[in-house]
Amino acid sequence: MIPHRRLFTLLAAAAVGLLSAALARGEGSPPAAPLAPPASFSAIADPAELSAAYFAELSKVLTSPRCTNCHPAGDRPRQGDAARPHQPPVFRGPDGKGLTSLRCAMCHREANFDPAGMPGHPHWQLAPAEMAWEGKTPREICIQIKEPARNGGRSVEDLIAHIGDDTLVGWAWAPGGGRTPAPGTQAEAKALVRAWVESGAVCPK
Amino acid sequence: MPAISLTINGRPHGPIEVREDLSMNDFLREVLGLTGTKFGCGAAQCLSCAVIVDAADGTSATMPTCVVAAADFDRKKIRTIEGHARDGVLTPLQTSFITHFAFQCGYCTPGFLAEGQVLLERLEKAPIARAEVERTITEALDGHLCRCSGYVKYHEAVRDVILADPKRYLT
Repeated sequence: MIPHRRLFTLLAAAAVGLLSAALARGEGSPPAAPLAPPASFSAIADPAELSAAYFAELSKVLTSPRCTNCHPAGDRPRQGDAARPHQPPVFRGPDGKGLTSLRCAMCHREANFDPAGMPGHPHWQLAPAEMAWEGKTPREICIQIKEPARNGGRSVEDLIAHIGDDTLVGWAWAPGGGRTPAPGTQAEAKALVRAWVESGAVCPK
Repeated sequence: MPAISLTINGRPHGPIEVREDLSMNDFLREVLGLTGTKFGCGAAQCLSCAVIVDAADGTSATMPTCVVAAADFDRKKIRTIEGHARDGVLTPLQTSFITHFAFQCGYCTPGFLAEGQVLLERLEKAPIARAEVERTITEALDGHLCRCSGYVKYHEAVRDVILADPKRYLT
């Protein structure tokens, strides 16, 4: 007869093993962290503080590895929740889609290929170098994201659709392969961007 | 199950039903018996599994097969290691690999050969200056891993083919 303590250990190990195997197969991802809705900030009376609070909440998404891994500080993307340097060693290339000999689309196809843990999307690529967020504070990202020269030529109003509707951005909430999704949902992030823009797009201090 | 049709080494295959989770590597090796394409790391980090994909515009590129679904290769034209030599005659690059004893265990060779061949075909369309040769070869082979550390020999083998035919590959 197996002692209770040992039985518990065996069952726990089995559960961890099954979970790991499932994650490796991409059958699920760890749960996303929550994202507070705009209404939850209604107690903030000062309009500027309220707007900044919206962005501070949104920055939980923007600083997630699902976003920063492809908004890297250098020319090499990162990968995984630990933001390791991408292996194989790939680089930005002239169009953000890799060097001639190692293009993003060689591995990253139209959709995730979970048997290999390979993420995919039809437009897989790095964000332009001027849109690098890695290592920046929410305030720094906020200032940057409002400048068309450093946000892909967008107005702040355009950011609502970019973050809220773009399907490549949306991959961050359905990454598969055991990767932790960006906090909340894309719809919740869109609501925060909209609230931030409509309240004056104030940056947190 | 989706059915795929593709051309491999000039020969049409399919339609063949494949599971959606079947990798191209398993398709080549297990379904078609084309075992020259290797399975190495399984994570597109060594590229021993790379094959050549011929695009409709006449360009070619390598693509790993271990992390890509077989279904993604539907209607593609590809070349595997089995398709380089014609009628038993090795290509100049294959011959150069042998001359340089570029491979030891040989496991990474199909990937290196595919990448080197793609580079040669690229240079035929867009020749480069002699001064760019070393850097160009280094960048082209950069993603491929060789556990026997044959990098220098592979590099030299590719370089010899380029320099042996400067009118074709160099400006």
